[in-house]
Amino acid sequence: MSEQEKLQEFEARIARGEKIEPGDWMPEEYRKQLIRMISQHAHSEIVGMLPEGAWITRAPTLRRKITLLAKVQDEGGHGQYLYHAAETLGATRAEMIDALLTGKAKYASVFNYPSLTWADMGMIGWLVDGAAIMNQTMLAHCSYGPYSRAMVRICTEETFHKKQGMEQVIKYARGTPPQKAMVQDALNRWWWPVLMMFGPHDSNSPNSAQLIRWGVKTKTNDELRQEFINKTAPDLQLLGLKIPDPALHYDEASDNWISGEIDWDEFWRVVKGDGPCNKERLAARRDAHENGAWVREALNAYAERFEGEG
Amino acid sequence: MDSQWQIYQVFEKERADLPHRNAGSVHASDAEMALENARDVFVRRPNCLSLWVVPERAIFSKTVEELQDNAWRTEMQNTSAEESYLVFQKQGQTARETFVVHVGDVAANSPQQALERALETFDDKNVFVWWIVPERAIIKNEASDAPSMFEPAHWKKYRNHLSYPVEPIMRELKSAQEMLEE
Repeated sequence: MSEQEKLQEFEARIARGEKIEPGDWMPEEYRKQLIRMISQHAHSEIVGMLPEGAWITRAPTLRRKITLLAKVQDEGGHGQYLYHAAETLGATRAEMIDALLTGKAKYASVFNYPSLTWADMGMIGWLVDGAAIMNQTMLAHCSYGPYSRAMVRICTEETFHKKQGMEQVIKYARGTPPQKAMVQDALNRWWWPVLMMFGPHDSNSPNSAQLIRWGVKTKTNDELRQEFINKTAPDLQLLGLKIPDPALHYDEASDNWISGEIDWDEFWRVVKGDGPCNKERLAARRDAHENGAWVREALNAYAERFEGEG
Repeated sequence: MDSQWQIYQVFEKERADLPHRNAGSVHASDAEMALENARDVFVRRPNCLSLWVVPERAIFSKTVEELQDNAWRTEMQNTSAEESYLVFQKQGQTARETFVVHVGDVAANSPQQALERALETFDDKNVFVWWIVPERAIIKNEASDAPSMFEPAHWKKYRNHLSYPVEPIMRELKSAQEMLEE
Protein backbone atom coordinates (compact mmCIF):
# COMPACT_ATOMS: atom_id res chain seq x y z
CA MET A 1 0.00 0.00 0.00
CA SER A 2 1.26 3.50 -0.79
CA GLU A 3 1.39 6.13 1.94
CA GLN A 4 -1.62 7.80 0.35
CA GLU A 5 -3.64 4.59 0.48
CA LYS A 6 -2.60 3.98 4.08
CA LEU A 7 -3.77 7.47 4.99
CA GLN A 8 -7.10 6.89 3.26
CA GLU A 9 -7.58 3.59 5.09
CA PHE A 10 -6.61 5.25 8.39
CA GLU A 11 -9.12 8.05 7.89
CA ALA A 12 -11.79 5.54 6.83
CA ARG A 13 -11.23 3.59 10.05
CA ILE A 14 -11.72 6.75 12.09
CA ALA A 15 -14.83 7.66 10.09
CA ARG A 16 -16.24 4.20 10.93
CA GLY A 17 -15.66 4.96 14.62
CA GLU A 18 -12.85 2.44 15.06
CA LYS A 19 -10.14 2.97 17.66
CA ILE A 20 -6.55 3.31 16.54
CA GLU A 21 -4.36 1.07 18.68
CA PRO A 22 -0.60 1.01 19.42
CA GLY A 23 1.21 -0.67 16.54
CA ASP A 24 -1.43 0.32 13.96
CA TRP A 25 -0.30 2.45 11.05
CA MET A 26 -0.87 6.15 11.71
CA PRO A 27 0.29 9.38 10.06
CA GLU A 28 3.39 10.80 11.69
CA GLU A 29 1.48 14.00 12.41
CA TYR A 30 -1.23 12.07 14.31
CA ARG A 31 1.44 10.42 16.46
CA LYS A 32 3.19 13.74 17.05
CA GLN A 33 0.04 15.63 17.99
CA LEU A 34 -1.09 12.87 20.34
CA ILE A 35 2.27 12.69 22.11
CA ARG A 36 2.14 16.48 22.51
CA MET A 37 -1.41 16.44 23.88
CA ILE A 38 -1.11 13.38 26.12
CA SER A 39 2.22 14.37 27.65
CA GLN A 40 0.97 17.93 28.30
CA HIS A 41 -2.08 16.40 29.91
CA ALA A 42 0.12 14.14 32.07
CA HIS A 43 2.30 17.08 33.12
CA SER A 44 -0.85 19.02 34.04
CA GLU A 45 -1.96 16.25 36.37
CA ILE A 46 1.44 16.12 38.05
CA VAL A 47 1.92 19.90 38.38
CA GLY A 48 -1.76 20.14 39.37
CA MET A 49 -0.91 18.29 42.59
CA LEU A 50 1.07 21.32 43.82
CA PRO A 51 -1.52 24.06 44.45
CA GLU A 52 -3.68 21.61 46.42
CA GLY A 53 -0.85 19.68 48.02
CA ALA A 54 0.13 22.95 49.69
CA TRP A 55 -3.09 22.89 51.74
CA ILE A 56 -3.13 19.27 52.95
CA THR A 57 -1.47 20.15 56.26
CA ARG A 58 -3.86 23.08 56.78
CA ALA A 59 -7.17 21.32 56.14
CA PRO A 60 -9.87 22.52 58.57
CA THR A 61 -11.13 19.03 59.50
CA LEU A 62 -9.89 15.44 59.23
CA ARG A 63 -12.63 14.65 56.70
CA ARG A 64 -11.44 17.48 54.45
CA LYS A 65 -7.88 16.32 54.92
CA ILE A 66 -8.41 12.69 53.81
CA THR A 67 -10.55 13.92 50.93
CA LEU A 68 -7.87 16.30 49.73
CA LEU A 69 -5.17 13.65 50.17
CA ALA A 70 -7.23 11.20 48.10
CA LYS A 71 -7.81 13.81 45.40
CA VAL A 72 -4.13 14.73 45.13
CA GLN A 73 -3.21 11.02 45.04
CA ASP A 74 -5.72 10.55 42.20
CA GLU A 75 -4.03 13.34 40.21
CA GLY A 76 -0.71 11.52 40.59
CA GLY A 77 -2.37 8.33 39.35
CA HIS A 78 -3.89 10.18 36.39
CA GLY A 79 -0.43 11.44 35.47
CA GLN A 80 0.75 7.81 35.45
CA TYR A 81 -2.11 6.57 33.22
CA LEU A 82 -1.35 9.36 30.80
CA TYR A 83 2.42 8.95 30.65
CA HIS A 84 1.81 5.29 29.85
CA ALA A 85 -0.66 6.19 27.11
CA ALA A 86 1.99 8.49 25.59
CA GLU A 87 4.58 5.72 25.83
CA THR A 88 2.46 3.45 23.64
CA LEU A 89 3.20 5.99 20.88
CA GLY A 90 6.97 5.69 21.34
CA ALA A 91 7.65 8.60 23.70
CA THR A 92 9.90 7.68 26.63
CA ARG A 93 9.33 8.69 30.23
CA ALA A 94 12.79 10.20 30.49
CA GLU A 95 12.18 12.45 27.45
CA MET A 96 8.83 13.61 28.74
CA ILE A 97 10.06 14.36 32.27
CA ASP A 98 13.06 16.16 30.82
CA ALA A 99 10.81 18.27 28.60
CA LEU A 100 8.76 19.27 31.65
CA LEU A 101 11.72 20.04 33.91
CA THR A 102 13.56 22.10 31.29
CA GLY A 103 10.43 24.11 30.53
CA LYS A 104 10.13 22.83 26.95
CA ALA A 105 6.80 21.11 27.58
CA LYS A 106 3.64 22.96 28.50
CA TYR A 107 1.06 22.11 31.13
CA ALA A 108 -2.31 23.64 32.02
CA SER A 109 -1.54 27.29 32.72
CA VAL A 110 -4.19 27.43 35.46
CA PHE A 111 -1.76 25.71 37.83
CA ASN A 112 0.55 28.70 37.62
CA TYR A 113 -1.83 30.65 39.86
CA PRO A 114 -1.39 30.49 43.63
CA SER A 115 -3.83 28.90 46.07
CA LEU A 116 -4.17 31.53 48.79
CA THR A 117 -6.97 30.37 51.08
CA TRP A 118 -8.82 27.18 51.99
CA ALA A 119 -11.77 28.36 49.87
CA ASP A 120 -9.49 27.88 46.86
CA MET A 121 -9.66 24.11 47.50
CA GLY A 122 -13.41 24.20 46.93
CA MET A 123 -13.16 26.51 43.94
CA ILE A 124 -10.39 24.49 42.27
CA GLY A 125 -12.34 21.26 42.77
CA TRP A 126 -15.54 22.66 41.31
CA LEU A 127 -14.21 24.89 38.53
CA VAL A 128 -10.79 23.52 37.54
CA ASP A 129 -11.83 19.87 37.78
CA GLY A 130 -15.23 20.74 36.32
CA ALA A 131 -13.55 22.31 33.28
CA ALA A 132 -11.17 19.36 33.03
CA ILE A 133 -14.13 16.95 33.04
CA MET A 134 -15.69 18.73 30.03
CA ASN A 135 -12.48 18.34 28.07
CA GLN A 136 -11.88 14.79 29.26
CA THR A 137 -15.42 13.60 28.58
CA MET A 138 -14.83 14.66 24.99
CA LEU A 139 -11.43 12.94 24.91
CA ALA A 140 -12.99 9.70 26.20
CA HIS A 141 -14.40 9.44 22.64
CA CYS A 142 -10.99 10.11 21.11
CA SER A 143 -9.89 7.89 18.22
CA TYR A 144 -6.69 6.70 19.96
CA GLY A 145 -7.60 3.67 22.12
CA PRO A 146 -5.16 4.01 25.04
CA TYR A 147 -5.92 7.74 25.46
CA SER A 148 -9.67 7.19 25.36
CA ARG A 149 -9.49 4.33 27.89
CA ALA A 150 -7.35 6.42 30.26
CA MET A 151 -9.99 9.17 30.00
CA VAL A 152 -12.86 6.84 30.88
CA ARG A 153 -11.05 5.92 34.09
CA ILE A 154 -10.07 9.50 34.86
CA CYS A 155 -13.54 10.97 34.30
CA THR A 156 -15.10 8.64 36.86
CA GLU A 157 -12.57 9.77 39.46
CA GLU A 158 -12.79 13.45 38.55
CA THR A 159 -16.50 13.43 39.31
CA PHE A 160 -15.53 12.92 42.96
CA HIS A 161 -13.04 15.79 42.69
CA LYS A 162 -15.61 18.17 41.32
CA LYS A 163 -18.34 17.28 43.79
CA GLN A 164 -16.16 17.51 46.88
CA GLY A 165 -15.18 21.00 45.71
CA MET A 166 -18.73 22.00 44.98
CA GLU A 167 -19.80 20.81 48.43
CA GLN A 168 -17.25 23.12 50.04
CA VAL A 169 -18.22 26.11 47.92
CA ILE A 170 -21.89 25.55 48.81
CA LYS A 171 -21.00 25.39 52.53
CA TYR A 172 -19.01 28.61 52.43
CA ALA A 173 -21.48 30.43 50.19
CA ARG A 174 -24.21 29.70 52.75
CA GLY A 175 -21.91 30.18 55.74
CA THR A 176 -20.78 33.10 57.91
CA PRO A 177 -19.99 36.51 56.37
CA PRO A 178 -16.21 35.88 56.50
CA GLN A 179 -16.72 32.47 54.79
CA LYS A 180 -18.86 34.10 52.11
CA ALA A 181 -16.22 36.76 51.56
CA MET A 182 -13.48 34.12 51.34
CA VAL A 183 -15.31 32.05 48.74
CA GLN A 184 -16.22 35.14 46.70
CA ASP A 185 -12.56 36.14 46.70
CA ALA A 186 -11.63 32.64 45.49
CA LEU A 187 -14.13 32.93 42.63
CA ASN A 188 -12.77 36.37 41.73
CA ARG A 189 -9.28 34.95 41.32
CA TRP A 190 -10.09 31.60 39.63
CA TRP A 191 -12.91 32.40 37.19
CA TRP A 192 -10.82 33.86 34.38
CA PRO A 193 -7.87 31.46 34.64
CA VAL A 194 -10.39 28.59 34.44
CA LEU A 195 -11.99 29.98 31.26
CA MET A 196 -8.48 30.18 29.80
CA MET A 197 -8.02 26.44 30.46
CA PHE A 198 -9.98 25.68 27.29
CA GLY A 199 -7.22 27.27 25.24
CA PRO A 200 -7.15 30.03 22.62
CA HIS A 201 -10.13 30.98 20.47
CA ASP A 202 -10.86 28.56 17.62
CA SER A 203 -9.58 31.21 15.20
CA ASN A 204 -6.17 31.04 16.98
CA SER A 205 -6.05 27.29 17.45
CA PRO A 206 -4.13 26.05 14.41
CA ASN A 207 -4.23 22.33 15.32
CA SER A 208 -7.95 22.09 15.99
CA ALA A 209 -9.27 21.37 12.49
CA GLN A 210 -6.96 18.44 11.89
CA LEU A 211 -7.44 17.05 15.39
CA ILE A 212 -11.19 17.09 14.85
CA ARG A 213 -10.82 15.44 11.41
CA TRP A 214 -8.78 12.64 13.00
CA GLY A 215 -11.26 12.12 15.81
CA VAL A 216 -8.85 13.23 18.54
CA LYS A 217 -11.09 16.11 19.51
CA THR A 218 -14.78 16.22 18.72
CA LYS A 219 -15.46 19.76 19.96
CA THR A 220 -13.59 23.03 19.58
CA ASN A 221 -12.09 25.08 22.43
CA ASP A 222 -14.83 27.70 22.18
CA GLU A 223 -17.60 25.10 22.14
CA LEU A 224 -16.27 23.46 25.30
CA ARG A 225 -15.77 26.83 26.99
CA GLN A 226 -19.36 27.85 26.20
CA GLU A 227 -20.67 24.54 27.53
CA PHE A 228 -18.74 25.09 30.77
CA ILE A 229 -20.03 28.65 31.24
CA ASN A 230 -23.63 27.56 30.57
CA LYS A 231 -23.34 24.77 33.10
CA THR A 232 -21.50 26.66 35.83
CA ALA A 233 -22.59 30.31 35.76
CA PRO A 234 -26.24 29.73 36.81
CA ASP A 235 -25.19 27.50 39.74
CA LEU A 236 -22.63 29.99 41.05
CA GLN A 237 -25.20 32.79 40.88
CA LEU A 238 -27.84 30.64 42.52
CA LEU A 239 -25.49 30.42 45.51
CA GLY A 240 -25.38 34.23 45.67
CA LEU A 241 -21.87 34.46 44.27
CA LYS A 242 -20.94 37.21 41.86
CA ILE A 243 -19.04 36.18 38.73
CA PRO A 244 -16.23 38.74 38.12
CA ASP A 245 -17.34 39.60 34.59
CA PRO A 246 -19.56 42.69 34.21
CA ALA A 247 -20.28 41.72 30.59
CA LEU A 248 -21.63 38.26 31.43
CA HIS A 249 -25.27 37.95 30.39
CA TYR A 250 -27.82 35.39 29.35
CA ASP A 251 -28.74 35.43 25.68
CA GLU A 252 -32.23 34.07 25.19
CA ALA A 253 -31.94 33.64 21.43
CA SER A 254 -28.98 31.24 21.63
CA ASP A 255 -29.75 29.96 25.16
CA ASN A 256 -26.13 30.77 26.07
CA TRP A 257 -24.44 32.70 28.84
CA ILE A 258 -22.22 35.13 26.94
CA SER A 259 -19.02 36.17 28.69
CA GLY A 260 -16.81 39.18 28.24
CA GLU A 261 -13.50 38.92 26.39
CA ILE A 262 -10.71 36.94 28.00
CA ASP A 263 -7.46 38.80 28.66
CA TRP A 264 -5.43 36.94 26.03
CA ASP A 265 -2.27 38.89 26.84
CA GLU A 266 -2.39 37.39 30.31
CA PHE A 267 -3.08 33.93 28.85
CA TRP A 268 -0.02 34.02 26.57
CA ARG A 269 2.16 35.55 29.28
CA VAL A 270 1.36 32.67 31.65
CA VAL A 271 1.66 30.01 28.93
CA LYS A 272 5.07 31.39 28.00
CA GLY A 273 6.35 31.06 31.55
CA ASP A 274 5.65 34.42 33.15
CA GLY A 275 2.69 33.61 35.40
CA PRO A 276 2.60 34.16 39.16
CA CYS A 277 3.92 30.65 40.01
CA ASN A 278 5.59 29.19 36.89
CA LYS A 279 9.07 29.28 38.40
CA GLU A 280 7.91 27.94 41.75
CA ARG A 281 6.02 25.03 40.13
CA LEU A 282 8.97 23.93 38.00
CA ALA A 283 11.37 24.32 40.90
CA ALA A 284 9.13 22.06 43.01
CA ARG A 285 9.08 19.42 40.25
CA ARG A 286 12.85 19.62 39.79
CA ASP A 287 13.40 19.26 43.54
CA ALA A 288 11.10 16.25 43.65
CA HIS A 289 12.94 14.65 40.74
CA GLU A 290 16.40 15.32 42.13
CA ASN A 291 15.51 14.40 45.70
CA GLY A 292 14.01 11.13 44.46
CA ALA A 293 17.19 10.13 42.61
CA TRP A 294 18.50 8.05 45.53
CA VAL A 295 15.26 6.05 45.63
CA ARG A 296 15.57 5.20 41.94
CA GLU A 297 19.24 4.28 42.44
CA ALA A 298 18.35 2.01 45.35
CA LEU A 299 15.62 0.31 43.33
CA ASN A 300 18.01 -0.25 40.44
CA ALA A 301 20.67 -1.68 42.75
CA TYR A 302 18.13 -4.03 44.31
CA ALA A 303 16.81 -5.11 40.91
CA GLU A 304 20.34 -5.84 39.66
CA ARG A 305 21.11 -7.96 42.69
CA PHE A 306 17.78 -9.73 42.44
CA GLU A 307 18.36 -10.47 38.75
CA GLY A 308 21.85 -11.78 39.52
CA GLU A 309 20.49 -14.20 42.07
CA GLY A 310 17.53 -15.21 39.95
CA MET B 1 21.39 7.17 35.78
CA ASP B 2 17.70 7.47 34.92
CA SER B 3 17.58 4.54 32.57
CA GLN B 4 14.11 3.67 31.40
CA TRP B 5 12.69 0.93 33.62
CA GLN B 6 10.98 -1.87 31.83
CA ILE B 7 7.28 -1.82 31.14
CA TYR B 8 4.91 -4.29 32.78
CA GLN B 9 1.41 -4.79 31.45
CA VAL B 10 -1.18 -4.84 34.23
CA PHE B 11 -4.23 -7.11 34.36
CA GLU B 12 -7.01 -6.79 36.89
CA LYS B 13 -9.98 -8.96 37.69
CA GLU B 14 -12.85 -6.71 38.67
CA ARG B 15 -15.57 -9.27 39.42
CA ALA B 16 -15.68 -13.00 40.08
CA ASP B 17 -17.55 -13.59 36.81
CA LEU B 18 -15.16 -11.49 34.67
CA PRO B 19 -11.79 -12.55 33.26
CA HIS B 20 -8.54 -10.71 33.95
CA ARG B 21 -8.44 -7.63 31.75
CA ASN B 22 -5.61 -5.32 30.75
CA ALA B 23 -5.82 -2.09 32.75
CA GLY B 24 -2.74 -0.35 31.34
CA SER B 25 0.93 -0.54 32.15
CA VAL B 26 3.45 0.55 34.76
CA HIS B 27 7.22 0.97 34.83
CA ALA B 28 9.20 -0.74 37.52
CA SER B 29 12.69 -1.81 38.45
CA ASP B 30 11.51 -5.35 39.25
CA ALA B 31 8.42 -7.53 39.37
CA GLU B 32 7.63 -6.89 43.01
CA MET B 33 7.70 -3.12 42.51
CA ALA B 34 5.62 -3.54 39.36
CA LEU B 35 2.89 -5.20 41.40
CA GLU B 36 3.07 -2.47 44.07
CA ASN B 37 2.94 0.29 41.45
CA ALA B 38 0.04 -1.41 39.68
CA ARG B 39 -1.85 -1.53 42.94
CA ASP B 40 -1.30 2.18 43.64
CA VAL B 41 -2.05 3.31 40.09
CA PHE B 42 -5.03 1.10 39.22
CA VAL B 43 -6.64 -0.06 42.48
CA ARG B 44 -7.44 3.07 44.46
CA ARG B 45 -11.14 2.14 44.32
CA PRO B 46 -13.00 -1.04 45.20
CA ASN B 47 -13.08 -2.97 41.98
CA CYS B 48 -10.29 -5.51 42.13
CA LEU B 49 -10.13 -9.16 43.20
CA SER B 50 -6.80 -10.12 41.64
CA LEU B 51 -3.90 -8.31 40.01
CA TRP B 52 -1.28 -9.61 37.56
CA VAL B 53 1.74 -7.95 35.99
CA VAL B 54 3.67 -9.24 32.96
CA PRO B 55 6.97 -7.86 31.63
CA GLU B 56 6.09 -6.50 28.21
CA ARG B 57 9.03 -8.30 26.59
CA ALA B 58 7.50 -11.66 27.65
CA ILE B 59 4.40 -11.04 25.53
CA PHE B 60 4.25 -12.64 22.08
CA SER B 61 1.81 -10.42 20.19
CA LYS B 62 0.30 -10.74 16.72
CA THR B 63 -2.35 -8.61 15.05
CA VAL B 64 -4.86 -10.28 12.73
CA GLU B 65 -3.13 -8.53 9.81
CA GLU B 66 0.19 -10.07 10.83
CA LEU B 67 -1.47 -13.48 10.98
CA GLN B 68 -2.55 -13.22 7.35
CA ASP B 69 0.84 -14.16 6.06
CA ASN B 70 2.30 -17.28 7.56
CA ALA B 71 5.82 -15.98 8.15
CA TRP B 72 5.34 -16.15 11.93
CA ARG B 73 4.80 -19.91 11.76
CA THR B 74 8.28 -20.43 10.38
CA GLU B 75 9.72 -18.57 13.36
CA MET B 76 8.61 -21.56 15.35
CA GLN B 77 11.19 -23.14 17.61
CA ASN B 78 10.11 -26.26 19.40
CA THR B 79 13.16 -26.49 21.56
CA SER B 80 11.83 -25.94 25.06
CA ALA B 81 9.74 -28.34 27.09
CA GLU B 82 5.98 -28.09 26.98
CA GLU B 83 4.58 -25.50 29.39
CA SER B 84 1.42 -23.53 30.04
CA TYR B 85 0.69 -20.34 28.07
CA LEU B 86 -2.05 -17.82 28.77
CA VAL B 87 -4.03 -16.57 25.80
CA PHE B 88 -5.31 -12.99 25.64
CA GLN B 89 -7.42 -11.35 22.96
CA LYS B 90 -7.93 -7.69 22.17
CA GLN B 91 -11.60 -7.53 21.33
CA GLY B 92 -14.24 -5.11 20.17
CA GLN B 93 -12.43 -2.63 18.00
CA THR B 94 -15.36 -0.30 17.42
CA ALA B 95 -16.55 -0.06 20.99
CA ARG B 96 -15.29 2.52 23.43
CA GLU B 97 -14.52 -0.42 25.67
CA THR B 98 -11.72 -2.13 23.82
CA PHE B 99 -9.70 -4.35 26.11
CA VAL B 100 -7.22 -7.17 26.11
CA VAL B 101 -8.88 -9.99 28.05
CA HIS B 102 -7.70 -13.38 29.24
CA VAL B 103 -9.65 -16.07 27.36
CA GLY B 104 -7.92 -19.28 28.48
CA ASP B 105 -4.75 -21.34 28.57
CA VAL B 106 -2.99 -23.79 26.24
CA ALA B 107 0.00 -26.10 26.65
CA ALA B 108 2.77 -25.72 24.07
CA ASN B 109 6.52 -25.74 23.69
CA SER B 110 6.90 -22.27 22.14
CA PRO B 111 4.85 -19.07 21.96
CA GLN B 112 4.28 -19.70 18.25
CA GLN B 113 2.92 -23.15 18.90
CA ALA B 114 0.77 -21.75 21.71
CA LEU B 115 -0.67 -19.22 19.26
CA GLU B 116 -1.40 -21.96 16.71
CA ARG B 117 -3.24 -23.93 19.35
CA ALA B 118 -5.05 -20.81 20.57
CA LEU B 119 -6.26 -20.12 17.01
CA GLU B 120 -7.68 -23.66 16.88
CA THR B 121 -9.18 -23.51 20.35
CA PHE B 122 -10.72 -20.06 20.84
CA ASP B 123 -13.37 -18.11 19.00
CA ASP B 124 -11.72 -15.37 16.92
CA LYS B 125 -14.80 -13.31 16.16
CA ASN B 126 -14.18 -9.62 16.88
CA VAL B 127 -10.53 -10.29 17.80
CA PHE B 128 -7.88 -8.06 16.35
CA VAL B 129 -4.79 -8.81 18.43
CA TRP B 130 -3.60 -11.99 20.18
CA TRP B 131 -1.23 -11.95 23.15
CA ILE B 132 0.50 -15.16 24.23
CA VAL B 133 2.26 -15.21 27.62
CA PRO B 134 4.07 -18.11 29.29
CA GLU B 135 2.44 -18.63 32.66
CA ARG B 136 5.79 -18.51 34.45
CA ALA B 137 6.26 -14.88 33.28
CA ILE B 138 3.11 -13.74 35.07
CA ILE B 139 3.50 -12.22 38.51
CA LYS B 140 0.30 -12.56 40.50
CA ASN B 141 -0.56 -11.10 43.86
CA GLU B 142 -0.36 -13.67 46.66
CA ALA B 143 -3.83 -14.73 47.75
CA SER B 144 -2.81 -13.93 51.33
CA ASP B 145 -1.95 -10.34 50.28
CA ALA B 146 -5.33 -9.75 48.67
CA PRO B 147 -7.05 -8.37 51.81
CA SER B 148 -4.30 -5.83 52.49
CA MET B 149 -4.06 -4.83 48.82
CA PHE B 150 -7.72 -4.57 47.86
CA GLU B 151 -9.91 -4.27 50.94
CA PRO B 152 -8.89 -0.83 52.26
CA ALA B 153 -10.48 0.72 49.16
CA HIS B 154 -13.87 -0.57 50.32
CA TRP B 155 -14.13 1.64 53.37
CA LYS B 156 -12.72 4.73 51.64
CA LYS B 157 -16.19 5.99 50.87
CA TYR B 158 -14.88 9.53 50.64
CA ARG B 159 -13.28 8.59 47.31
CA ASN B 160 -16.73 8.09 45.82
CA HIS B 161 -18.66 11.00 44.37
CA LEU B 162 -21.83 9.64 46.00
CA SER B 163 -20.45 10.86 49.33
CA TYR B 164 -20.98 14.44 48.13
CA PRO B 165 -24.72 14.85 47.47
CA VAL B 166 -24.59 18.32 45.95
CA GLU B 167 -27.35 17.95 43.36
CA PRO B 168 -30.27 17.82 45.84
CA ILE B 169 -29.01 21.05 47.46
CA MET B 170 -28.77 22.81 44.11
CA ARG B 171 -32.22 21.54 43.08
CA GLU B 172 -33.69 22.83 46.33
CA LEU B 173 -32.10 26.25 45.85
CA LYS B 174 -33.38 26.37 42.31
CA SER B 175 -36.97 25.59 43.20
CA ALA B 176 -36.84 28.12 46.06
CA GLN B 177 -35.67 30.77 43.61
CA GLU B 178 -38.37 29.86 41.10
CA MET B 179 -41.00 30.19 43.79
CA LEU B 180 -39.68 33.65 44.65
CA GLU B 181 -39.82 34.70 41.01
CA GLU B 182 -43.44 33.57 40.76
